[in-house]
Amino acid sequence: MLKFLKQVGDYTKETVQAARYIGQGLSVTFDHMRRRPVTVQYPYEKLIPSERFRGRIHFEFDKCISCEVCVRVCPINLPVVDWEFNKETKKKKLKHYSIDFGVCIFCGNCVEYCPTNCLSMTEEYELATYDRHELNYDNVALGRLPYKVTDDPMVTPLRELAYLPKGVTDPHDLPADAQRVGLRPEQILEQMEKNGDS
Amino acid sequence: MNLAQGVQIVSFGLLTLMVIGASLGVVLLPNVVYAAFLLGGVFISMAGLYLLLNADFVAAAQVLIYVGAVNVLILFAIMLVNKREDFLPLKRGWIRKAATGMVCAGLFALLSTMVLTTSWNFSTGAIAGNDSIIVIAKHFFTDFLLPFELASVLLLMALVGAIILARREFIPEETDMPARDAALTLPERPRELMSVSSSSEFNR
Amino acid sequence: MNPGIDLQETFIQSLVELGLPADLAKAIWMPLPMLLMIIGATVGVLVTVWLERKISAAAQQRIGPEFIGPLGVLAPVADGLKLVFKEDVVPAKADALLFTLGPVIVVIPVFLSYLIVPFGQNLVITDLGMGVFIWITLSSIAPIGLLMAGYASNNKYSLLGGLRAAAQSISYEIPLALSVLAIAMMSNSLSTIDIVQQQSGYGILGWNIWRQPVGFIIFWIAILAECERLPFDLPEAEEELVAGYQTEYAGMKFGLFYLGSYVNLVLSSLLFAVLYLGGWDFPVPINLLAGWVGISETNTILQVVTAALGITMTLLKAYFLVFLAVLMRWTVPRVRIDQLLDLGWKFLLPISLVNLLLTAALKISFPLAFGG
Repeated sequence: MLKFLKQVGDYTKETVQAARYIGQGLSVTFDHMRRRPVTVQYPYEKLIPSERFRGRIHFEFDKCISCEVCVRVCPINLPVVDWEFNKETKKKKLKHYSIDFGVCIFCGNCVEYCPTNCLSMTEEYELATYDRHELNYDNVALGRLPYKVTDDPMVTPLRELAYLPKGVTDPHDLPADAQRVGLRPEQILEQMEKNGDS
Repeated sequence: MNLAQGVQIVSFGLLTLMVIGASLGVVLLPNVVYAAFLLGGVFISMAGLYLLLNADFVAAAQVLIYVGAVNVLILFAIMLVNKREDFLPLKRGWIRKAATGMVCAGLFALLSTMVLTTSWNFSTGAIAGNDSIIVIAKHFFTDFLLPFELASVLLLMALVGAIILARREFIPEETDMPARDAALTLPERPRELMSVSSSSEFNR
Repeated sequence: MNPGIDLQETFIQSLVELGLPADLAKAIWMPLPMLLMIIGATVGVLVTVWLERKISAAAQQRIGPEFIGPLGVLAPVADGLKLVFKEDVVPAKADALLFTLGPVIVVIPVFLSYLIVPFGQNLVITDLGMGVFIWITLSSIAPIGLLMAGYASNNKYSLLGGLRAAAQSISYEIPLALSVLAIAMMSNSLSTIDIVQQQSGYGILGWNIWRQPVGFIIFWIAILAECERLPFDLPEAEEELVAGYQTEYAGMKFGLFYLGSYVNLVLSSLLFAVLYLGGWDFPVPINLLAGWVGISETNTILQVVTAALGITMTLLKAYFLVFLAVLMRWTVPRVRIDQLLDLGWKFLLPISLVNLLLTAALKISFPLAFGG
């Protein structure tokens, strides 16, 4: 009889414990409700891409020497380089250049290895189209520069988390001159010089 | 005839048609799932008839127990073993059919004599109306006490039986069972059971 | 207790005065509250869907629907419109008849149950003697529709979902009915009006939640299970069963399921408010307030205010419970099917039986506090 009563008591204790855990969980969820949304209201607000953002590739036609390094370093040999050997000047003459961004994985190898720096990464990431063939950019399309988020009057630019001042997690209503956490490059340089002197 | 009476007559006709049609469907349809669903229809139409007789508690209980529990369990059983498979024709199956037909005919004769001999006078007692539950409860605990208790004992027995079946502490030896008629068994996965009585289960 | 406003009498009276026979006047009156209730239930669903999306968003630090109407209030309307205009697909090898009938059987009983939801002394479609029992009865029809939908879809996920839904609904019906029975025992009636009447008089202190704390919790759990809300949403557990019995449904048939589940949630919350939170009662008894200010009970303005306050209070309480359900959704993980049945049969059933016996004992020993 005593054993049975003890069992009942233990069971009750466990039940109460479970109920308390559920209550704790509910209070956590409830607490979340008064926090400010972390959402970026996308078409009206956009995050400023970081300096190292690997977006759509920009190509400068005149700088290209048709060396085809970009094709060789590309994991899937994606860039199409169409050139012709000019016998008079003994130089390659580039006719067409294209990259299909429906296939590109934005690894940035071509940008890294381009000997004349004619390839570069932009911060453009809005590449949605109705037809995947529209993503096959030719040299004219590749030569276009994207519109900067900070210049767009329709868009409120928001800083990414790593570019916020110390202790701030919300990019909204931030003063424009608020400095990001850590040192700026020139400050680091200054510090290094000082260390070198001493 | 006023509005209420008209509505009553029309709904009585509709409900009767539904009961007869659905029960014919239950008996005659070859698809057992349809038959089970139509059974639910029969129960619901009968609840409607009870409602027309001012027996609202009986109607609600009818729906709750027959549709909500019995019919759902029937459907459960059908769907858990559902394999769209035709049963093999039984040898001398007509004997069963004939016997069933005779029983049904006998029941029908019994019921029709009952219908004919009863004098269908309107009851002179007061209509219970919204207090029907109290009247029913009083009957349960006075003149219908014995059947009420017997019914509860029956339910208890069913409960105990269900628990024993579910726990399977005692299982009959299956080795010396005669080969069962394949036409009467539903296909089922053979179970591996832990037997408490015999260790031969493990040795096999 | 004064009768308050009787709209039915007034309406019929005015029609009869216009020269219509009394029978016809009554026949004209009859569909009006039903229509009002159906519209009310549908609007209630729209509000609930919107609340669910907004509260879910807040709990996850999102914003939720924002641009469809002010604060996104029209988002559920847009959802509904989309469902109406979508193509009605019946899978090739499905059983077309049962496939169509399934959602209908699920939805109709839920709407019928609104018959007994009171918003005030006379603001109810019918004051049935059966009251809450009708609700329990009608909610036991739904599993048939779910099984039908699950079976007719000709899809294993649907069938499993349908079977789960039926099993869950049957097992949780019993603790639900038992906890309602305890309430009915205390108020000596199954009628929703009587149940609220019995709780009124002492304001917030008279509500059944103080007399039936255990029943309150059992009822809440059982309702969550009956409505297939999150800790118990196994029938449509999307990680295991795609969408359960709704897997093959599209367009308006899916819309019916969706509507049915939300109507059921609102209905359950309303009944929860009626059974345990004093229905249309204001936390402070209105008559007492009126007495202090010095207004007589028969004052027309007071009666209108009381009716309006009653509707508001009922809805507020119901939506508080909807809010709790949504919060619960993002807090508690889903239980397994064996845990679900364990909880239903081995925990809730014995506890609700004990609760019922305790209530009976308390009723006999303290008839004053527990309804003699």
